[in-house]
Amino acid sequence: MHTRNLPVLRLLAAALTLALAGCGALGVKPWQRDLMAREDMRLDANAIDASLDEHMYFSKEASAGGRTFAGGGCGCN
Amino acid sequence: MQLKRPARDLRRWLVAASCGLLSASVARAQDGGDASPPADDGPATVVDTALAYYHESDGRVRAIEPIVSVHRDYGDERAANVKLTFDSLSGATPNGAVPSRKAQTFATPSGKSLNATPQTYTTASGNVVVVSAPIYIVGPGQLPMDPNYHDQRLAVNGSYDLPWDRLTRSTFGADLSYEHDFLSASLNASLARDLNDKNTTISAGVNGEFDLVQPIGGSPVPLSDYTLFEKVGNHSKHDLNLVLGATQVMNRHWLTDLSLSADRFSGYLNDPYKIVSLVDPGGNVTGYLYENRPGTRTRGSVFLENRVATDRTSVSLSLRYMTDSWAIHSQTAQLKLRWWNPDHDRYLEPTARWYRQTAASFFSPWISSTTTTPLSYASADQRLGAFHAIRGGLKYSAKWADDTGPDGSELSVRAEWYRQTSDNTFVLPGALQGLNVFPGLSAVLMSFEWRFNW
Amino acid sequence: MPTSHSLRSARRALALLLMLSLVPLGDAAGPDPLDLPGLRGKVVYVDFWASWCAPCRQSFPWMDGLARDLGPRGLVVIAVNVDHQRADADRFLSEFTPSFRVSFDPGGNLAQRFHVSALPMSFLIDREGHQVMEHAGFRAREEPDLQQRITAALAQR
Repeated sequence: MHTRNLPVLRLLAAALTLALAGCGALGVKPWQRDLMAREDMRLDANAIDASLDEHMYFSKEASAGGRTFAGGGCGCN
Repeated sequence: MQLKRPARDLRRWLVAASCGLLSASVARAQDGGDASPPADDGPATVVDTALAYYHESDGRVRAIEPIVSVHRDYGDERAANVKLTFDSLSGATPNGAVPSRKAQTFATPSGKSLNATPQTYTTASGNVVVVSAPIYIVGPGQLPMDPNYHDQRLAVNGSYDLPWDRLTRSTFGADLSYEHDFLSASLNASLARDLNDKNTTISAGVNGEFDLVQPIGGSPVPLSDYTLFEKVGNHSKHDLNLVLGATQVMNRHWLTDLSLSADRFSGYLNDPYKIVSLVDPGGNVTGYLYENRPGTRTRGSVFLENRVATDRTSVSLSLRYMTDSWAIHSQTAQLKLRWWNPDHDRYLEPTARWYRQTAASFFSPWISSTTTTPLSYASADQRLGAFHAIRGGLKYSAKWADDTGPDGSELSVRAEWYRQTSDNTFVLPGALQGLNVFPGLSAVLMSFEWRFNW
Repeated sequence: MPTSHSLRSARRALALLLMLSLVPLGDAAGPDPLDLPGLRGKVVYVDFWASWCAPCRQSFPWMDGLARDLGPRGLVVIAVNVDHQRADADRFLSEFTPSFRVSFDPGGNLAQRFHVSALPMSFLIDREGHQVMEHAGFRAREEPDLQQRITAALAQR
């Protein structure tokens, strides 16, 4: 059972390493956030959809939640 | 102008009917003086209304869920949100027992015996009233389901966003949910901090939940004989959740988000309406016990999402791995695509989701009636079994100008299809062979959403 | 002591290099599209904005008021748009039709020169051509303070 989870864990670890490797070199200037400002790149957009989905998963599955919604977006002010 | 009036009236009615609560707080905040008036351009209040319809196949649960959410922006990144959700559920719900070659008789939760004879009462005024016994009979080979499942839920969620400085902000929230047999209250707080020219955001959140479980007819004594109807009073359960997040803008197109979450549940974690069949080595059902689950559960998860956008499209891929102290491991992968029209006021959004979970260590679709080892925990709740689920959906959304601005209103329609398939690997004894012990589940979800500025 | 002498000159060169790197590129690179030298004698309020930035939207009516009320006293408001697509900026402008000057910087070259660290971001340049203030973001509660700094700059002859 545990061995079947290994590929997923490995993938996560690889992605994590990739994401954290040299965060300083990443990112954009404030005026390059036009795409980030769009609603489909904002993590907190579509709260109603998210709540309907979560309600269903919570009622029908043993797992639910587990994420944050801060970050991305316009980065204004 | 005349065309716009009915829409305006409907909006007024919706807000008035559902959001007296927020209106009051808005009025107070405006009296407070320090609250800056909203900018004269661009409205500061957004109302989100939705109507969702959920339907499980085979006569199982149907639900209608209207939602009204009001988001009020006070300027300077301060905002309040109030959401009202009403749920009306009906239909049949599995009681946990396995199908049998013979008909099976069960009592509804309010029932006190399995006697099928109608009860006769004489009222104070001398009239004779015949009340049919609160039982239901399940035919041979059929999955035992309580056909009289009805439930209504009313939930109120409120939250307030409060900035600390240019880079730090917090959100405080409270949720209350009421059903006739269940009351849930929770408080939450979260803090987010931007770093690295706002390209990196780290956040932390905490949520504490308190639930009161008041089952119809009382809570059954765990693992007691179903036919004895041994029931005691109410119970409570608690959940403490911590979540940590890091979000990184990778480049102009790419956003990545990592979250770590931990939950600690304690108290009465049983489903008071779920039973477990006692089955002899020949596969015959000999009785039922009320289920019992451990009184604590610790759960942890890792969530990773990547989103990539181009001028008219975006893709989001999210992965989640979750594991808990009940030995449930789950993996989720979700892919979302979005296509915008050239004016960015319409989009089409297909979604595909894959989910898999292993069974809880105490998941037992039935209990052997000849077992001699003492039983501590057992549940036949299919939600604790092994299964995988796929989900596919499509959403279409359109925005248009109205008297509040160029993107004043937005209408969305969404359809989702969901199917659970059992991955349980139990060897069915004798007569149970050939019966659909793990039937899975399929459901559709439709939702309509209307968002407008107020 | 030739060694200490060469060490000192190396240090001097390094310090010079460091100072040069701190000087905004704008001073060295090409003509200024805002024509700030030509505005010597005026107080200039330069604001960087984009159509997709919500607080920028909030700042436009305020800047319009500034230009109207303080223009006669020598204030020039220049809004520098940093949208990638000119069409996005034009759609935004058609909503507001500002009375002040709008300049376009789709590549962000000017924004880079000014070291813009947020949107909107504003800079105040006094009558002598010196930058006297930079301000990140736009919040209603900061309006009085901004206004006061502008008035103070206008008061200096």
